[in-house]
Amino acid sequence: MSMPIAAIESLVELIKHSKATTLSEFMESLKDASQKLKTSVRNSISLSAGADLFLRFVTRTSHDVTNFEACKVHLINSGKVLVEKATAVRHKIAEIGVQFIKDDATILIHSYSRVVMLLLQQAAARKKRFKVYVTESRPTSLGVQSTKILRKAGIPATVILDTAVGYIIDKVDAVFVGAEGVVENGGLINAIGTYQVAVVAKAANKPLYAVIESYKFVRLFPLNQYDLPTHTPDLLTFPDLESPRYLSNNDESEDDVENFEASNPTVDYTPPDYITLLCTDLGVLTPSG
Amino acid sequence: MPMEKKSTKDMKEMTKAERRAVQERQRAEKAARTVGGTTTKKGSQGSATSVVDNTSIFTHQEYSFTPSDSKHKEKQQKESKKESSKQVALFSHLEIAKGANTSLDIHPAVLVIGLQFAEFKICGANARCIATLTAFKKVIQDYKTPEGTTLSRHLPTHLSPQIKYLVNSRPMSVGMGNAIRHLKLEISTMDIDLADDDAKRLLCEKIDNFIRDRITFADRVIVDYGLQKIQDGDVILTYARSSVVQALLLEARAKGIRFKVIVVDSRPRLEGKRLLRRLVDAGISCTYAFLHAVGFALKDVSKVFLGAHAFMSNGALYSRVGTAMVAMMAKEKNIPVIVCCETYKFTERVQLDSFVMNEQGNPEEMVNVSTTSTPKAGLLDGWLHKPDLKLLNLLYDLTPSKYITTVITEVGMIPCTSVPVILREYK
Repeated sequence: MSMPIAAIESLVELIKHSKATTLSEFMESLKDASQKLKTSVRNSISLSAGADLFLRFVTRTSHDVTNFEACKVHLINSGKVLVEKATAVRHKIAEIGVQFIKDDATILIHSYSRVVMLLLQQAAARKKRFKVYVTESRPTSLGVQSTKILRKAGIPATVILDTAVGYIIDKVDAVFVGAEGVVENGGLINAIGTYQVAVVAKAANKPLYAVIESYKFVRLFPLNQYDLPTHTPDLLTFPDLESPRYLSNNDESEDDVENFEASNPTVDYTPPDYITLLCTDLGVLTPSG
Repeated sequence: MPMEKKSTKDMKEMTKAERRAVQERQRAEKAARTVGGTTTKKGSQGSATSVVDNTSIFTHQEYSFTPSDSKHKEKQQKESKKESSKQVALFSHLEIAKGANTSLDIHPAVLVIGLQFAEFKICGANARCIATLTAFKKVIQDYKTPEGTTLSRHLPTHLSPQIKYLVNSRPMSVGMGNAIRHLKLEISTMDIDLADDDAKRLLCEKIDNFIRDRITFADRVIVDYGLQKIQDGDVILTYARSSVVQALLLEARAKGIRFKVIVVDSRPRLEGKRLLRRLVDAGISCTYAFLHAVGFALKDVSKVFLGAHAFMSNGALYSRVGTAMVAMMAKEKNIPVIVCCETYKFTERVQLDSFVMNEQGNPEEMVNVSTTSTPKAGLLDGWLHKPDLKLLNLLYDLTPSKYITTVITEVGMIPCTSVPVILREYK
């Protein structure tokens, strides 16, 4: 289950058990809960998209319903519908996106994304013949998982190193990526490495299609990589070479791998200039729209 | 006439433009006397004190100003010929504002701001818009609907010479145009049965609301949004002086954010100096540089904040001349360019370059090379007598949308390609 849907589901669950008597109290508790959700995970972008979407929906419906209990029931039901629709939405996107895969194409995907997987499976089911390169996508190595799923669906897939994108890009016809969130200017927030894949694709004049559900649109406007809510400045600082810790551990035998993995960001921001089209359940959009 | 004598007495104390205004008004009065015959007495009274009861005059006069003595006419023609030969051919379609000229029926409040506009005493899109609306409020307050017409029908015809006068003193800004259009719409949708006083009160309220919602509060919201984009350690570059950017930087300082500012400025207006003074007074560490040093100044900059005069519906920014250069340089160096602009400055017009529409300032400004308040003539002194020398003093330029990262408006941060979307929503 994806993060935004999980967020919506948990908020629906909250409504079910809520003992609030007034509307404002009710709204307050919802806002608190969504805030708690957002702070509980390190990377809150897609989660906040879901939570904000649901909150906006609640505010809108609570305005035109007078009976509070009826309003609650209505919200629970529509929350459920929203969750159920999530899978349907993905199918719809896959349906729309299939047209971008031509017969005998070579495709590059980054990391793992449910909706990209579904799109490729749909394409295979329609007897399209294509090959897929999958980036390994360190540190999660989700690319390996994607490859397994694709092979099971009868699609030839190969894992490549994240550093090998530039090497294979000339053999690729199109790049497909999913997203954690789409920001207001049409840029993407996605698993780390998406940006560099996009830059390489742009340099090689290969189209890059972003495949996303419309509930992942977030109200953010990042100016650059360091303007994201997930940004932690640790990575940008340099070690103090004069510090005793560094001097004592001079041979750098095991400057533990986990340590620098933890300080690396998990997502990056891809500006809209690098995206050819956004393929959503609302249709195919240009990044500026 | 006793009144005229009095005004000549005060002549010495007036500034040049004010003196000219008085002279011209007297001349116009003279003309009116010859045309209108019987209304003489009324006319001289009306122009000096109120605009209420001289309605009968401007029906005769049709606001056209005809100088009575032929000698003056000749001189004027000569001057205009000379001036046109001194215009840069590519920009000959742009009029150089000749300063305020008066006719009879201008309200004193409008007269005052007209002169201030012409001399750039009131400068900046927001300041001018607020001044205009406040003056029009006074006009409306002093207005009485004549017998046999209604306020919603007659008030616009009463306002239009005032507007014409303001345009003559300096071409209207886009924001002012939008505000006046809004005001006219409000007047035309006024209930006909409403009593005069009530209607006037209602209109004044509407004007106040416009100033509050679209300018004052909008600025505050923009400052709030802008604060999210200023972090500790930022180096912010700004060009010339924008009231919103100034408010934003001062607020960021008040919030305790540690950042530096580079103020880039250019001749001949040197507007950045005023901003610099305010920032330094607030204790912000600043650097001051001229526009030609912008390439060097951008070396350590993390964000560029710019003000706006107007936004075209193709997402292009129309702002103080030099802005486009700053934006292009910043884009070249991958530095985000953030423009602060209230939505009332958005216009439906599309503009592709800085030539089609622009404003020419007084070329004399360029002669002065002093950076202090005492003028000092530079090499360009006496340019009028050099036959092959022409001066061009453009006031604005156009920045294409691709050089702008984001626009901060009171409705949020938007990419500048979304300007038409906002315009559509306000309709």
